[in-house]
Amino acid sequence: MDKVSGSESPSRAAAPLAPEQLYFTGSGAEYFGIWIVNLLLTIVTLGIYSAWAKVRRLQYFYRHTELAGSGFDFHGSPGRILFGRAIALVMLIAYNYSVRLHSPVTIVILIGIAIVMPWLLRNSLRFRLYNTSWRGTRFHFRGTVAGSYRVFLLNGFLTLITLYVMAPFMHQRLKAYQHDNSWFGRTRCSFHARAGQFYAIYLLLLAAVVVFAIVIGFSGIGGALAALSQVQKHGGHADPHAVFRALAILYGALILMGMTVGPVFHAFVTNLIWSNTRLGEHRIECKMSAPGLVWISVSNFVLVVLTLGLFIPWAMVRLAKFQLESVRLLPASDLQEFLAAEPETLGAVGEEAATAFDFDISL
Amino acid sequence: MLQAKYFDGRSTRVRAVNLSVDGADLVVAGEDTQFRVPFAAVKVDERLGRAPRRLRFQDGAFCEVRDLDALDSLLSSTAHRDGWVDRMQRHLQFVLFSIVACVALTFAAYKWALPWAAAKGAHHLPPGIGKTLSVQTLNVLDGKILMPSKIAEERQQSLGARFHALQLPEGGTPDSDLLFRSSPQLGANAFTLPDGTIIVLDELLTSIGDDSEIMAVFAHELGHAHGRHGLQLLLQSSAVGAFWTLYIGDISNLLAAAPAAIVQARYSQDLEEQADDYGAALLIRNGMSPALLADALKKLAASHSGSSNGGYLSSHPSTDERMRHLRQLAAAQPPALH
Repeated sequence: MDKVSGSESPSRAAAPLAPEQLYFTGSGAEYFGIWIVNLLLTIVTLGIYSAWAKVRRLQYFYRHTELAGSGFDFHGSPGRILFGRAIALVMLIAYNYSVRLHSPVTIVILIGIAIVMPWLLRNSLRFRLYNTSWRGTRFHFRGTVAGSYRVFLLNGFLTLITLYVMAPFMHQRLKAYQHDNSWFGRTRCSFHARAGQFYAIYLLLLAAVVVFAIVIGFSGIGGALAALSQVQKHGGHADPHAVFRALAILYGALILMGMTVGPVFHAFVTNLIWSNTRLGEHRIECKMSAPGLVWISVSNFVLVVLTLGLFIPWAMVRLAKFQLESVRLLPASDLQEFLAAEPETLGAVGEEAATAFDFDISL
Repeated sequence: MLQAKYFDGRSTRVRAVNLSVDGADLVVAGEDTQFRVPFAAVKVDERLGRAPRRLRFQDGAFCEVRDLDALDSLLSSTAHRDGWVDRMQRHLQFVLFSIVACVALTFAAYKWALPWAAAKGAHHLPPGIGKTLSVQTLNVLDGKILMPSKIAEERQQSLGARFHALQLPEGGTPDSDLLFRSSPQLGANAFTLPDGTIIVLDELLTSIGDDSEIMAVFAHELGHAHGRHGLQLLLQSSAVGAFWTLYIGDISNLLAAAPAAIVQARYSQDLEEQADDYGAALLIRNGMSPALLADALKKLAASHSGSSNGGYLSSHPSTDERMRHLRQLAAAQPPALH
């Protein structure tokens, strides 16, 4: 790690520095005003304002995220985000077209998308990190193009042909590519989680899904038996209410699975990834509570449905606060000593295309 | 005097400084930092909730201010004015207005703008798309839901000949294909694919019986073909799906998938009414009465009343209302039509 000359503290080893917790200070009521105005202007401008809305949204969340008494900031320009969104939209339409129309063109379009995707995802990482700063010093992503093709295309292909047996390994390689190539100013990040640790969490996920499948199977059989007993009682047709009840139990169990297993998995994987990431010699500790995340996800879901979406700003703030405040930085030395790197300029094309295809690979 | 933190943009070092305004200049003073800049060259970040605001200088350095009220009073002595979006976001009246406006605009877009745009779009899509979609749909349905027709070959040909001899209201004869199938699942039914191909099921032919009334059903289906309703529905449901995903997708992907189907039913009612009107115009042009379509609807309603599936009528508006409308159109015609 590069340091400002002469600022090395001689007493560092003697007095360990206190951990620095991330804080999120935003509030749902405050964000509601920004969110609803963003929504209105986006509707009125037929979506064009969405790029400006995105900048405001990210700025709201970044600036309310604090480490050691200083906020983060987002610097992306709306014009570039809009350009990126236009390209993403074209790709999305081409993708939907080609999936619905089975013609020789389909294969050409899908191969074309597969070829440009890794490049776009790499650009997306570059854009997002370059436009993030803390105390005026920017982050950078320096992963190579070759690396992005290896991680996104080759490993993705290997995952598919091994029927997802390699998925945990692929996940580890992806995070290593992402975090080992991230810089804060002139200080490089490093990633230390091993593939074995990813396999352990994925096996837990698999076990949970199997348990749920058994429960759903039994409830489905129970429902079918109930429907059959109705047939015997009344003769002739199966009671539609009994059939409906059986289906409701099945669908309810599936939603319950999505809302519990998903967040538990997310909490475990996020803890693994961030607790094994270092910024220079500074360690990071992430202790997100899995039951806590399940509670936030389930209650957010229910409240968003009941309010027809008006709760969305509160839901986003709650989730951000919960996730961010589970992270602590364990400084190895004074945090005043990071140096900024040389300025660069980048396009937002990659980031927009990546989010449009729902490939959000950031935390 | 306003307390702030100064960052030089080259390192993460924090310097405590005081800010003040002197004439047209901003004065920054603190530990080993002392300078003044014309206020016009300082970019002030907009207010976002209670987040610290930044006063940015041209060299990438900036001052971070936490006391937002004190900053506001300092700014009031300068030429700085907050942006209009900035002010909108913070005013309760405007926030409330935004809620109402969002709901009203979304409703208007869904009720009028989207059907209008989708109808326009459906007429401008290259015909190859409708063709491909129809071939695919038929491939999926044939052998699973649709079975070969059991209607005698001669009767199929005579119905086909009458169908292709129909005079369209806009002139010419139908260029749609007419296909015969049967389907125990779908019951008495007829439908139009995106390229205008009309599929009629045996169950519909036998429950209606009368050839003129069957032509009235074809006239209605030609209304769907003429309006390109298949493509229009596809475009509409794609747009609704995309909007919904953007609105709610951040929170829950489960919810994002749900509503497209709900929306479809409402849209197709409007389209049925359009197809009825076109069908009535077509019947009049061929010297037939729109009441024939009303009679056909009556028979179909009767044939479906005993079974559990709504079939032909499930996505249609109230049959009584449609029949009344068609009979009104018939009554307005000269008595020569039967």
